[in-house]
Amino acid sequence: MTDDEMNEQPNDAIQDERIRSLAVGHYNAPDGTVPRDAMWAQISAARRAARSGVAPVAAVAPAVDQVEQSPDVIPLDSRRRTRTIVVWRWSAAVAAALVIAFALGRYGQPANTTAPVGPMVAVQPPTTSAPSHIDPVPGSPETSPAPNGPPPQRGSEPRQVAPRSSGGRSIVGGPTEVASADSAASALYRAAAVQTLVQAEAVLTAYRGAEASTRDPQAMQQAARWARDVLSSTRLLIDSPAGRDPQMRALFTDLELVLAQIVQLSGTPLQDSERDLIDRAMRDRDLLPRLRSAVPAGSATS
Amino acid sequence: MNERELTARVKLGDEAAERALYDAHVDRVYWVAYRMSGRHDLAQDFTQDVFIRAFDRIADYRGDAPFGAWLHTITMSVVLNGLRKVKRFDQREAVLEEAGMVTSSVREAEPDLKERLAQAIEALPEGCRVTFLMHDVEGFTHEEIGAALGTTAGTSKAQLSRARAKLRIALADFAGDWIQ
Repeated sequence: MTDDEMNEQPNDAIQDERIRSLAVGHYNAPDGTVPRDAMWAQISAARRAARSGVAPVAAVAPAVDQVEQSPDVIPLDSRRRTRTIVVWRWSAAVAAALVIAFALGRYGQPANTTAPVGPMVAVQPPTTSAPSHIDPVPGSPETSPAPNGPPPQRGSEPRQVAPRSSGGRSIVGGPTEVASADSAASALYRAAAVQTLVQAEAVLTAYRGAEASTRDPQAMQQAARWARDVLSSTRLLIDSPAGRDPQMRALFTDLELVLAQIVQLSGTPLQDSERDLIDRAMRDRDLLPRLRSAVPAGSATS
Repeated sequence: MNERELTARVKLGDEAAERALYDAHVDRVYWVAYRMSGRHDLAQDFTQDVFIRAFDRIADYRGDAPFGAWLHTITMSVVLNGLRKVKRFDQREAVLEEAGMVTSSVREAEPDLKERLAQAIEALPEGCRVTFLMHDVEGFTHEEIGAALGTTAGTSKAQLSRARAKLRIALADFAGDWIQ
């Protein structure tokens, strides 16, 4: 049965045709031009971000901002908001890991030792005649003299770990617990460092993408906001045991410099000289390759 | 370069090929989205979502059907889902507006034919409205509509028949002039 055969009356066909032609001409009829380039800019930014595994800064920021500002616009694609939420969750996870690590480091560190705790310590098995001791790993930075304290003891003269007390109450029950707390703290520092480096790589990639293609001020501002979060984590890590490794410290310091430049310069439309400054800082320090090599494989997706 | 070659290059991540496919289909997608939504901001948002989703899922496109047909399936999915969300929002907004306009008793002037037509189309059930717009206004076939909406061509024909009947009734006041 054809459409026309569905019409019960001959006049219905005339009416239908009239209604159809009216609808074609007047019901939400095409007017004006299609904003091709504006839409392509958003699509392209989202695609580029998807390829690099980064939250689409250029596409997300305007959409979310508009939704929040205008009551007429509904968030149509939950994936966009989800990507933004993922970014914030990463930031929250890094911040939480750092807080826990600092807490463990503070309460787990022996009061009478000046040498740092962290990834460079190893635990000697406890003996029946003497309490356990903590020795630095040979060849690690731990073996160098501490700047403000006595040189660390080595080999057959392990330094003893005294329980730390607070108000008469022992916080650390024994040497094994101290070592356990140290191990947990160093693991958290490592996790926080890796997460921060992953985020930093994502920020720098997003910045370069936003800067190179669209030079969209909103995208740059979003990158700056994101960079600010990562900058805070980076500064915390520089002063943490994770920053005591000279190689990591150098990486964190270079990263801090570039992130600070992005934060300071991206709030306003960039001049060519400012853009060159950031690009040169990233290029001269081989920042992205170093970041990528410092992050263990698979960490970005874990 | 034909469409098959373009889609093959898009699958390899060629941005120039993406742009070429976009240029070839964006107008149609945009105007369908605009026709269905009646708002340029929504049409723009829908169109972006359509192409982002299409390029994300290009690996699923096997080339059995024309790329345009595959794209319009995505278009209808994006537009209809988007409109449902907008409709829910508008309903909430309408309740608020009605609450603030209880005292208004001024009767609106009789709308003209175009307005009556627009109101009649808006008042159609969603399936009827979409089918009417896609078939009678945008020129899709029943098979294409069935594929896009996840139904059959027969369902599409039935929906169209119902839509036309409702529109005839809604615009019966003007029928005499048309037939003469």
